[in-house]
Amino acid sequence: MIALLLLALSTTGDESFAQRVEKVIAHNAQGSTGYQHIAARLHRREDAAWASTKLVELLRDPGGDMFWMFPVTAIAYLDRGQLSAEARQALRQAWKTYMPYRGDTENHWLLYYTCLYLMAQKYPGEAGETWYTGKSSAENFQEAEGWLRHWMELTTTIGQGEYDCTHYIGVYLLPLSYLAAWAEDPAMRRRARMMLDWVIADFAVENLNGIYVGAHARTDDKQVLEKWNGVSSDFGWLLFGLGHPLPGYSYYGFFYAASSAYQPPEVIRRIATDRTRDYVHKERKRTRHRWRFTDVRNAPVYKTTYMRRDYAVGSDQGGILQPIQQHSWDVTWEVNDPRGVHNTIFSLHPYSSTHELQMYFTPMPDFITEAVVRSKKTYDSPDKFLGGSPFEQIVQDRDTVIALYQIPPGTRFPHINGFFSKDLRDIDEHASGWIFAQGGRTFLAYRPLAQYEWRPIKEGGRRLLSEHRSNGTIVQAASAAEFADFNEFKRAIVALPLDVRMDPTPSVSMKTLRGSRIEAVYGRAPVIDGRAVRYEDWKLFDGPYLNAEVGGRRMVLTHGDQHHVIDFNALP
Amino acid sequence: MILPLLLWWLLPAAEPAHKLYACGITSRGWVVGLKLPPSGLFLNAAGGWQRLGYTHPAIETLDYDPRNPRVIYLAAGNGCVRSTDGGATWRITTSWDITELRDVSVDRNRPDTVWVALPDGVGVTRDAGRSWTWRGPATARKFTQTIRVDRLRAGRVLAGGEAGLFLTSDDGAVWRQVLAGVQVTDVAQSPHDAGEWMAATQDGGVFLSRDSGQQWRRVSGLPAAVFYNASYDPAMRGRIAVAGWGFGVMVSEDGGKSWVARTAGLPSHNVWRTSFDPDHPGRLYASVHEEALFVSADSGENWRSAGLPGSILTDMIFVPETRR
Repeated sequence: MIALLLLALSTTGDESFAQRVEKVIAHNAQGSTGYQHIAARLHRREDAAWASTKLVELLRDPGGDMFWMFPVTAIAYLDRGQLSAEARQALRQAWKTYMPYRGDTENHWLLYYTCLYLMAQKYPGEAGETWYTGKSSAENFQEAEGWLRHWMELTTTIGQGEYDCTHYIGVYLLPLSYLAAWAEDPAMRRRARMMLDWVIADFAVENLNGIYVGAHARTDDKQVLEKWNGVSSDFGWLLFGLGHPLPGYSYYGFFYAASSAYQPPEVIRRIATDRTRDYVHKERKRTRHRWRFTDVRNAPVYKTTYMRRDYAVGSDQGGILQPIQQHSWDVTWEVNDPRGVHNTIFSLHPYSSTHELQMYFTPMPDFITEAVVRSKKTYDSPDKFLGGSPFEQIVQDRDTVIALYQIPPGTRFPHINGFFSKDLRDIDEHASGWIFAQGGRTFLAYRPLAQYEWRPIKEGGRRLLSEHRSNGTIVQAASAAEFADFNEFKRAIVALPLDVRMDPTPSVSMKTLRGSRIEAVYGRAPVIDGRAVRYEDWKLFDGPYLNAEVGGRRMVLTHGDQHHVIDFNALP
Repeated sequence: MILPLLLWWLLPAAEPAHKLYACGITSRGWVVGLKLPPSGLFLNAAGGWQRLGYTHPAIETLDYDPRNPRVIYLAAGNGCVRSTDGGATWRITTSWDITELRDVSVDRNRPDTVWVALPDGVGVTRDAGRSWTWRGPATARKFTQTIRVDRLRAGRVLAGGEAGLFLTSDDGAVWRQVLAGVQVTDVAQSPHDAGEWMAATQDGGVFLSRDSGQQWRRVSGLPAAVFYNASYDPAMRGRIAVAGWGFGVMVSEDGGKSWVARTAGLPSHNVWRTSFDPDHPGRLYASVHEEALFVSADSGENWRSAGLPGSILTDMIFVPETRR
């Protein structure tokens, strides 16, 4: 009966947050192979004998490092007297005999130290011999708390390092949810809830019907094209009821639901769901730690996102801001059901080098690319659609993006890839040099700045291949509702004043559909309406809904009559 | 040539004075995110290899306390990990702020002082790992890959990395750049002449110093390649091996004046590390990328597998068997 009720609700889209949480947990309680299934049964206080036996079996051979720590920590807290003594002993013993790797990036460390914090809290007063670290419970707890506070300080003063990730957002929300649920220290619980608000608000303001839009520190080969298909969309559905969950729900969504199931305040829900107003939202983030080839360990990242009901346009300033999986700019258009739809358009320089990898990772050069390609298959591929380039510079004004490329001789893959989706309609290679197309209710004008050819894409659609080292792309988007028809849009675009030069460097001088004048010259700060963009003045968050100053530790959230302040300065 | 090799294989070896440890991962076929095959620290014992301590994907190297070689320091991803009982138990001595160690070196004349090479500089403990401080060169480019304390002079340290090679003679108070324009991957002190040092680089070949690391000259006769390692044969003055990518192993018998390729019999020419056995003159080990550890009885003229198939070994270290 309950299942039927849930099924009925799922088809109506009227589920409450609590109902969605329950659906995710119920689904995982049906499985019988992994830690998440044990956790789901314990959460529902079902089948403790099976959970105990299965846990002992799984703990005979731990593996997965920090990704092992989090399900096991959840089980430790969801136990609540249900596990057998043998299972509990096996769980505790594993934290002595197995040393999880701490990893090499922020999401790893947040998982690692959250779990170490909670396990040290659960087993207080125990000696170093009982922990894989060799440190006492108190030492582990103190170290973990130190890192957690350090990360919160960095994030709320100079921005998140692995910012706005479509997959790893789950790896941030999950540990924060754990702390919000299970930290005994009220101050840490409060910190965790505030960080949840911070990260969720950051997602809410840049989502289009549950899809994370704009520039990302990390996304993946699949989701960069099929924008819905990832963990962030699962959270868009879970937190706000937007869009569609992933089939079977994400692993991270489940553990979020099974721990705090924290529901963000109403103001964030409204920011996430209200697309009646167009807005420009700007952010300042930072790169993750850079070890080599730069004097700046955490360089600033400047993001612009323009949100409309029908589409979103987002970008960063270009450059290598993150290794391997960076996504610098695109237009994402809204569709009623985005599943299976490649609802995006963008271009990039497919950059691949040991220089990039050594900048962000510690190993030596010769094997590093192959090691990356073993898990990130397209990293060293000339036809990839993922990754940043040091030879790309981007400027955005509302729904206009200009990306300029100047690729030095000798660069691996000296060409530009433009992504033209299988889901674009009415593509018109116009005599003016613009390529017009429609995606959903969005009209798109794409201007390649150098000659190009078409190549088929295995997943459908075409790749615009432009084998010129001095290159560029202009994209202008608009809602179909703004024009009488597609031809009127084309005429409006063709009529825009536009001056393109490739010598000595790529440059564009143009008037946008919105009336702005953009001067973009590769190697110089862009100029919009006569004023050079002063990135150094950018705030941490700047827009109608979210505002935060650099160094401020404080975010103000506003929507209509809703007002909320996240203020870390008020904490001890 | 054949007879000594045959004898080496057939005759029982004398009791060695050192244990051989290897650090690295079994990486062939492994993809990040999958369960890690046997990796971390390995000990060559009873004719085979046993993994010691925890499985870990990033144990780069180790050093030991000369007063008690059962005290071992690991340079690991999780920090500087110390054992005081020959590897039975371990403690991560560093905290969250020290990560992804590249190298570790114990001051032979003041063994509670241990230096570590870090992605963001140089760290040191004065109390055997109870507390740590940063004590590196004041350079913007801080990535440090290799560090060695002069075995004769306490507080005299060479640290190499992205910005070149730096020398301090006063315990890290002042560092002087002694090699610039190259990324240093390894630095080694001659066991025969404490004033002689070698430095391998990622982009500039191999360098030699005969004045205790103050002045350096590029070694000729070597290919243009990435060099990962330079090692001295403790049992034979003048014998040096270098290892790297694409050329494998090259050996000099005259202190670096001339070099010969010693790759015949190796399955590839991509070698991470070489190390000479101090107990057996001319016995040379080489870590061949994702193939195995290889060993030669004749300084690289002939090779055979020494186990650890599919591995990347970042170091092979000989540690004295007994207290000295």
